[in-house]
Amino acid sequence: MGLSKENCNRSSSTTHKTTEIFDLAPKSNPPDPFPIYTRRAEDNERDTSENGSNPIISLFTPPATRSLSLSLKFFSQSGSEQRLQSSAPPAFHHHRNQTLTAVRSKMITIPYLTALTTYFSYGLLFVFGQLRDFFRRIIDLWSHSSLQGYAPICLGLEDFYVRRLYLRIQDCFNRPISSPPDAWFDVVERVSKDNNKTLQRTKNVSRCLNLGSYNYLGFAAADEYCTPRVIESLKRFSPSTCSTRVDGGTTTLHTELEERVASFVGKPAAVVFGMGYVTNSAILPVLIGKGGLIISDSLNHNSIVNGARGSGATVRVFQHNTPSHLEKVLREQIADGQPRTHRPWKKIIIVVEGIYSMEGELCKLPEIVAVCKKYKAYVYLDEAHSIGAVGKTGRGVCELLGVDTAEVDVMMGTFTKSFGSCGGYIAGSKELIQYLKYTCPAHLYATSVSPPAAQQIISSIKVILGEDGSSRGAQKLAGIRENSNFFRSELQKMGFEVLGDNDSPVMPIMLYNPSKIPAFSRECLKRNVAVVTVAFPATPLLLARARICISAAHTREDLIKALEVISSVGDLVGVKYFPAEPNKQQLEEGRVKME
Amino acid sequence: MIGRLYVQAVPTADLNRNTDWFTYPGVWTTYILILFFCWLLVLSVFNCTPGMAWTVVNLCHFVVTYHFFHWKKGTPFADDQGIYNGLTWWEQIDDGKQLTRNRKFLTVVPLVLYLIASHTTDYQHPMLFFNTVAVLVLVVAKFPNMHKVRIFGINGDQ
Repeated sequence: MGLSKENCNRSSSTTHKTTEIFDLAPKSNPPDPFPIYTRRAEDNERDTSENGSNPIISLFTPPATRSLSLSLKFFSQSGSEQRLQSSAPPAFHHHRNQTLTAVRSKMITIPYLTALTTYFSYGLLFVFGQLRDFFRRIIDLWSHSSLQGYAPICLGLEDFYVRRLYLRIQDCFNRPISSPPDAWFDVVERVSKDNNKTLQRTKNVSRCLNLGSYNYLGFAAADEYCTPRVIESLKRFSPSTCSTRVDGGTTTLHTELEERVASFVGKPAAVVFGMGYVTNSAILPVLIGKGGLIISDSLNHNSIVNGARGSGATVRVFQHNTPSHLEKVLREQIADGQPRTHRPWKKIIIVVEGIYSMEGELCKLPEIVAVCKKYKAYVYLDEAHSIGAVGKTGRGVCELLGVDTAEVDVMMGTFTKSFGSCGGYIAGSKELIQYLKYTCPAHLYATSVSPPAAQQIISSIKVILGEDGSSRGAQKLAGIRENSNFFRSELQKMGFEVLGDNDSPVMPIMLYNPSKIPAFSRECLKRNVAVVTVAFPATPLLLARARICISAAHTREDLIKALEVISSVGDLVGVKYFPAEPNKQQLEEGRVKME
Repeated sequence: MIGRLYVQAVPTADLNRNTDWFTYPGVWTTYILILFFCWLLVLSVFNCTPGMAWTVVNLCHFVVTYHFFHWKKGTPFADDQGIYNGLTWWEQIDDGKQLTRNRKFLTVVPLVLYLIASHTTDYQHPMLFFNTVAVLVLVVAKFPNMHKVRIFGINGDQ
């Protein structure tokens, strides 16, 4: 049922509405359309040892994945997903220590009553906003504006959401901090005298547990190996190169950085830019132009959307993380050709992300790469959140899912998340990087990466790979994996709806209702836990969430405290949409029976 | 029991955040329930006959949906850089595809409201006249042939 739903287009998705209403409540987790790919949280917990520092060695491989490694030559025909698997390239291989990781397509399951009340709440907020706007317009007729004759900066409807919905709960967003974003940090308190229309900072700070920063490996605060070297390079070079790469901004640090990044990611060459957002939006117009086709995932980041729009190519979208729909769109577009002239496309690029930051989901990379090879399209992988955070040695989603890096044509990533620095990189073949260095405006006209920041990246890569002489890198990687799996499984046991796959350090907790967003955020802050809540329009209207980012710097006590706080706030606010799982003893019995 | 019913939110490929909420489960039911509760509200506030209440609901529904579906153009946020600034909400849903299930549902609702309103008022004037005008305007505005049509340039782009 899950497969057929993904294959329908939007107009017929509502035919399933009446049948969907009568889905009964899941027992513990929502029904899994792809059980053969699932590695449940219980499996992970069972496998991690007591002291928690060993990598996950699995003695039990689910029968379907065992047959998958044999099925490279042997084609199985059940279901379109299997068909894609059977045409996978020979580079598709397992790691011995990891079974095929859980890339399950988990649909967001909403209690029906919550959906109705969420629509109603948004409707009410909308009505109130419109009424206030209406009266404001009447009152403004009387007042005299000094800008007679000028065009208005905003058209009437454009800033409605910001003025009437966002400003009401403004204190939950944009909170200033006054310390490095480590596992614990200082949040500056703000007060408002006019009901949240403006906020003033006070001198008070509160020490809070940081569950919002992208500090996956704990490099955000001072590190014993990286920080002295960064300070030394600051003294040696200067805070800024004050020049573009081609003029005078290429230092020895930059060339060393590019070599290290290329070898870390597993590609022949790499080029580094000063800003992560710019990496996407300045590269896509260079790689493809008018007459080309970009097919991007529907939940791609704004930088990719911006770059795709700026390129002038035709942009099409496929349903999030659904390789079958991608194939359908590809076939349609290749058959149609360019709009109006129907000539064949000059180039086709498929853009996907490694970990989607709003869902915490891993990309279904092996299947997507297989589809792209079949239709001879290029693959562009944006690993902003997954580089350094997933994979046995931190090399990202390709390592985790067992995809050969030679299969992915352009690999992009940022240094802001796991490496504690700033900037982005593109890694690819030598010819590609050479071409980019001649043409990309971010290389030719933008200031190069700041030298201390470059040194921070180099040092953090050395720590991750263990080249600093200690095992801290391996500890961090194991730490983040255990922390994420532990946290996710505990939250799911409490009855929260948590998205995202196992091993992913990003876990959104679904809130849905617009009034629960500020309630959750403020109550957590009162209890000294800082969470980031995300609402419309960054997420779809119904699906507001609180997004938790786990770090390797979080200790077990921190996580347990966070769990207690989130559990009590969840009870208070009413976001435990699933029934809480029974306690451990009954769970053990169930496991014995199944095996 | 109703608290235990779950629905699955199938991810859409609709990029327009202004209209993708209409593809998630529960919208149709919410719409119908809001109309029903408005009828109850009108009945309790104005203390009129059920027929008059349905007529009031029908006319208010006409004004509100005409204003928001067919008059207001663009989106309530600036993220999309104004690519939908010339399109009303009705022209934006389902990416401009005509005769989808959502559009058919939205066309049927004013018709059903008209039938209920005229039946409960026993087809008397002047309510019948106003109800008929309301339903005619709404249904004509929703025809596929009226996509991006601006009669006499009313509500056109500057």
